[in-house]
Amino acid sequence: MRKVALVVALFWLSGAAMAAIEIDVLARTCNNCHGVSGVSVGTSMPSIGGLPREYLKNVMKQWKYDERGAATMNRIVKGFSDDEIDALAVYFSKKRWVPVPQSVSASLLAKGKDAISENCEDCHGLTGSDPDEDAPKINGQWAKYMQLELEKYRDEGFKMPHRKMKKTARKMKQADVPAAAHYYGAQSK
Amino acid sequence: MHAIDRRGFIKALAVASSASILSIPNAHAAKPRARVVVVGGGFGGATAAKYLRLLDASIDVTLIEREAVYTSCPLSNEVISGDRAIKTLQIGYKGLQKRGIKVVQDAVTLIDPVKKTVATASGNSFSYDALVLSPGVDFNYGAVAGLTEQLAQTRLPHAWKAGPQTLLLQKQLAAMPDGGTFIIAVPPGPFRCPPGPYERAAQVALHCKHHGKKKAKVLILDANDSFSKKALFEQAWKELYGYGEGGMIEWVSGSNDGKVERVDPESMTCYTGFGEHKGDVVNIIPPHHAGKIAKDLGLASFKDRWCEVKPDSMESIKAKDIYVIGDACIGGELASNNAFPKSAHMAMSQAKVVAANLVAKFNALPAPQAIYTNTCYSVVAHDWGFSVVHLYRVRDGQWVYIKEGSGISPVTFGTKEKPEPVPRIYRRLEVEYADGWLRNVMADAFT
Repeated sequence: MRKVALVVALFWLSGAAMAAIEIDVLARTCNNCHGVSGVSVGTSMPSIGGLPREYLKNVMKQWKYDERGAATMNRIVKGFSDDEIDALAVYFSKKRWVPVPQSVSASLLAKGKDAISENCEDCHGLTGSDPDEDAPKINGQWAKYMQLELEKYRDEGFKMPHRKMKKTARKMKQADVPAAAHYYGAQSK
Repeated sequence: MHAIDRRGFIKALAVASSASILSIPNAHAAKPRARVVVVGGGFGGATAAKYLRLLDASIDVTLIEREAVYTSCPLSNEVISGDRAIKTLQIGYKGLQKRGIKVVQDAVTLIDPVKKTVATASGNSFSYDALVLSPGVDFNYGAVAGLTEQLAQTRLPHAWKAGPQTLLLQKQLAAMPDGGTFIIAVPPGPFRCPPGPYERAAQVALHCKHHGKKKAKVLILDANDSFSKKALFEQAWKELYGYGEGGMIEWVSGSNDGKVERVDPESMTCYTGFGEHKGDVVNIIPPHHAGKIAKDLGLASFKDRWCEVKPDSMESIKAKDIYVIGDACIGGELASNNAFPKSAHMAMSQAKVVAANLVAKFNALPAPQAIYTNTCYSVVAHDWGFSVVHLYRVRDGQWVYIKEGSGISPVTFGTKEKPEPVPRIYRRLEVEYADGWLRNVMADAFT
């Protein structure tokens, strides 16, 4: 019985078996929470369409292999083969990045600009639109989501992988966290 | 707050989706357009209609729905506690109309599976090549003696379909005095929204805790011996509201005489096999079954309650070219007790399988592999939520429950021998994600 179960598991994990599932079909299951083409309308859920392929792939694999904490996604991706994860990363990286510029008060924007030039700009740039595998696009990403991500990095009990992000997020003043998130959320380009 | 430029955003969204989704605009210009009728405009029906058009704009899609505005059941327990405005759960059908779907507000009276026609109350008839039935559930009031549909609309709302009864139950809870008892009677499974009754218990307790009703009781009278996310609910109830002897929330299992068999609406008393329980608010969730229209058609082959379907397509095992999705169907890995949960997310997943399947069929392409996913959040306090996820694939024509991609939020961290509490940030995040999930599923289904 045990043996049979193992064979089934291996079957699903092997890339060859997965050739049967079309990437469009698989990606459609992501739409429920991340929107069609990876453009989210829920403020706590990130848009994922147009993010760098390496970034998407790394995050999903880190969840799958328990190198990165998550409230929900770590359970979901464990059901996908590595090949499926790679294909999903390619699929969503090819979509267009659609910033959702969220308006903020001038004072919060100014406070945010100070906060990011001190903490974030070195890697994420002035507008958050020049991505690499470590730093995804964050211009017009949902501010609420980015604030929650920063809180994950700041929480000792939350397993996050990136040393520099952890160190920087943890030294930020509490009030700078929403300010920085709203600053990048307000960037349209 | 962060008001967004809504018009600009929607425009951007429209561009993003039309540019990137594989569509087959005129694949069969010479052939007559395939006609699909979708009955029921909930999460399942709306998603089926939308994705059919999204994947093949040549398909003629008609959606028939009784109501002009849909009210989401997910997160409606938060309306009962007073934490959420019902408006945030409501959406109309304009978004689907913009996609070229004909939305007909009418009641379906008869389906003829031989002539392939659907007749409506206003005397119209619609022909189909494929029919997608997403009728939701209808209630068996007779299963609880003394209960009637009329009582459910007045004194004893079940609020198991979101709408007027949700607001009625909210009012009854608001009027309940300190020291009052709120009874929730749970029917034998399977029922719509497996964790729903227990989330409701928490939301009622949350209301009482914050409205000076610390001596109130929430009594769950259950026909079953276990329930969805049990360890997570019991942990949260205990910590937040007190659970069991002396606590605010009490749960009586089926084998402890929890099944309500009769109700006296005058004295507001529920009768179980041997006991009687008087409540100030009595919320009896009647047993339910596949929507009447599917049942009348003879599709409810499973225990005369639920519609059995084929794993790779969701086509009824009883009727050709009729696809049954959402709460009305039964599927999943029944042998291992991993049936499809009756949830909005699951219904949408099934709808996408149907859409992909029909588009392939109409274009004479091989049927794509089916995959089914579910995510379901429960919110038990402002900063405490958790979830369950499910993944099913189809192999050799059978549903396979993928354990690795399924499961509930962790109850504890650490090891079995040395458990540690889960940091609160995890619970808090899932409340935020529940809200993000809701907004995205409403958009994915209805716009």
